[in-house]
Amino acid sequence: MSLNENIHKDQINEIMRVENLNFTYENGYKVFENINLSINENKFVSVIGRSGIGKSTFLRLLGGFLKPDSGNIYLRNRRITKPNPQIVLIHQSIVTFPWMTAFENVKISLKSKNLTEEEENYRARKALEMVGLQGFEDLYPKEMSGGMRQRISIARALAAEPLMLLMDEPFAHLDELTAEGLRQDIFNILFNLETNLKAVVLVSHNLTEVLELSDEIFILNNMPATIVAKIEVNLPRPRNPRSEEFNRMLDQLYTYLGSSSNIRG
Amino acid sequence: MYVIEIIILAAVVTTLRVFGVILLSITSGWLLSYAAIKSKIFENIYVPLMEIFESVPVISFFPIVLILFVNAIGGILGVELAADFLVFTAVVWNIWMGEYQAYKTVPNEMIEVGENYNFTLAEKLKYIYIPFSIPRLAANLFPSFADAFFYITVSEVFSIGAHQYETFGIGSIIVYFYSRNQITYVHYSLLVMAIIISISVYLLREFSKYAVAKYTIDTDAPILRRGRINLRQTTRVISSITVTPLSRLARYYRFRNNIPEEEVFEKEEKKYEWIKYIPGVIAILIFIVLIYYSVKLIVSIPMATWNYLFSITPFIILNMLFDYIRIAIIAIVSLIFAILLGYYLAMRKRGEGILVPIIQTFSAFPPPIYFPIVFGISYPFVLHYFGFLTTEIYVLAIGFVSTFYYVLYSFWMGFKAFPGEYFDVMENFQMNFFQKLRYVILPGTFPYLISGITSTINSAWGGLMIGEYWPDIIGDKSLEVKVGLMKYISQATLQGNIEIAAWSSFIFSIVVVLYSLFFTKKLMDLASKKYVAEEGIYAA
Repeated sequence: MSLNENIHKDQINEIMRVENLNFTYENGYKVFENINLSINENKFVSVIGRSGIGKSTFLRLLGGFLKPDSGNIYLRNRRITKPNPQIVLIHQSIVTFPWMTAFENVKISLKSKNLTEEEENYRARKALEMVGLQGFEDLYPKEMSGGMRQRISIARALAAEPLMLLMDEPFAHLDELTAEGLRQDIFNILFNLETNLKAVVLVSHNLTEVLELSDEIFILNNMPATIVAKIEVNLPRPRNPRSEEFNRMLDQLYTYLGSSSNIRG
Repeated sequence: MYVIEIIILAAVVTTLRVFGVILLSITSGWLLSYAAIKSKIFENIYVPLMEIFESVPVISFFPIVLILFVNAIGGILGVELAADFLVFTAVVWNIWMGEYQAYKTVPNEMIEVGENYNFTLAEKLKYIYIPFSIPRLAANLFPSFADAFFYITVSEVFSIGAHQYETFGIGSIIVYFYSRNQITYVHYSLLVMAIIISISVYLLREFSKYAVAKYTIDTDAPILRRGRINLRQTTRVISSITVTPLSRLARYYRFRNNIPEEEVFEKEEKKYEWIKYIPGVIAILIFIVLIYYSVKLIVSIPMATWNYLFSITPFIILNMLFDYIRIAIIAIVSLIFAILLGYYLAMRKRGEGILVPIIQTFSAFPPPIYFPIVFGISYPFVLHYFGFLTTEIYVLAIGFVSTFYYVLYSFWMGFKAFPGEYFDVMENFQMNFFQKLRYVILPGTFPYLISGITSTINSAWGGLMIGEYWPDIIGDKSLEVKVGLMKYISQATLQGNIEIAAWSSFIFSIVVVLYSLFFTKKLMDLASKKYVAEEGIYAA
């Protein structure tokens, strides 16, 4: 049984719910109006939209890094009011701490959990293994490539055993070859049976990447932005971006984005 | 009697001295920095000398400067120049170093534009180098301003042996009022100074904002800043708070290498080739003159005096040890204060908007002019609670108020410059205050803390110099520690034992330079290799 089948055979439970979300920037610009959505367990979900529409802001709201003007966000029916390790954000600019080794960088996510040193070490080592960085524990980020650094930040997130990952253009600062390698690994890393992870929300402007990874795609549009469409992607995994089916769907996405821009206009 | 008018005039005269000296430092620095980037010989002499002089607390120049100016020039002019020169030495290194660093980091593309259009020296300075140095100058103005006020008020009145020398200004008239117990006039003087300093701080803040808005090159990096501040805005904030340590820190970032100019019209260029040797030759000449006068001075002192000076050296070192303990206490207290207040300022935007101008004004307000009042009011309480430690408490307090702001600004600036992503990570993993400090904030601000602490330590000597031995600080009360090098130097100067004062200063300078070379520099190297927070963000 493949991982994918294993995931989809699970019963479908809602893990996150967004209700009537409204948000305005400090300068008075209203970014989101009445956003409602639901994310189910074992889903890789993406949010797309034109540049500047507020995709990253949306992720920050989901993670509790920003407070909405009104509306609520629930993770397993508990309202999110501030950031917490159950829902971890992975940044577009790859974040590591240069004064710590890869191992120490991962351990930092466990500091608030009051674990023993041994337990911390065990979890950090396991997370590094999951992302394929065993043997690189003692290297400093500066001694690593961009792809390896992003793996550190993913390992740091996984070590905290989150229910949900929020990924803000995680491959944007990697060269195409590295990004493709990591994209191919990411699904298996994230939905590995050893992790507690229940869902991933990815924000990206790269539609091929989105289609390669997602089970569901939400499209943001209008001013202020709302969810204008939700697309289910039922292509079998691993997905081949050169396949006819894949490209047909990609065209649909482009068309959808184009037509939803017209709605705005 | 027009006392109020005289007070206002004195405050204006002092302020003009401060601005005059700062202006002189700035303009001379523009030319010297250009000479340094054009001549390797000049640069190799100029930069290490600046580093040494910058690390030696200005107060150690005091006796030597007094002798030079009072004896060699004499009269009102000698005293005036002595006071101005002391202030000059307090502010100049910082400003020169900042300008030199700015010149060294002018982008090659800009220089090439200048070369392409055959800019003359004046045009290069006017259109490229000077504008490029403005934001860094703006960043250096506040601490220079605070330092200048501190030293001008101290140096407007000084005594050597039985002679008291003074030059008209707020420092000298306040001493006059204190000596005649005219405390009401002292209050007026402090009020006038408070107004002038507040106006000056306001003007400097406005200048900083203008300078950064106009002269900063757009170098937005894809790093999130807290509260959606981008790098340019952060720089604006930095400049509006400003710190000396910025320039210290900045020197650890990569400089542009001097690229040999490609000579297209070789013959034409060769005609003027000798010009570039001028700064180097001047530097060597100055160096030779300094060596000559140093040797002359050494030879002129009788052998018996040298023997005596050598015999008191262990005593001088012991005194210095006591002072280093005081300095360590001041530095630790300043550090804790800086971390707590800096953390608050960086996290609370509203508090920041109110507190920062207050701190800036307070830090520019020279302790020598208000401390006697504070002493007079608080003495009975401090004596009651601290008993035999009373004197030490006051000395440490004056050291603290003279210097705490360096490490505070430095830490706060480092914290503000933190990539916003780090705040997200700390919040995301719900780290508590101490975890944040230990794992992220202190390591991430380490370079800033080291440079801030270094400046704090250097400036704390000034506080000790006035605090350790202050006869008749108010009424018949005096402030005097039992042991301390600064007291030893002050007393030697007052008693006219210039050899002892100069020798003590010399020993002190050597220790300070060694400390700087073997300790501060090493820590700074470590900080720049390992603890640069921005390097933790990978954005191709």
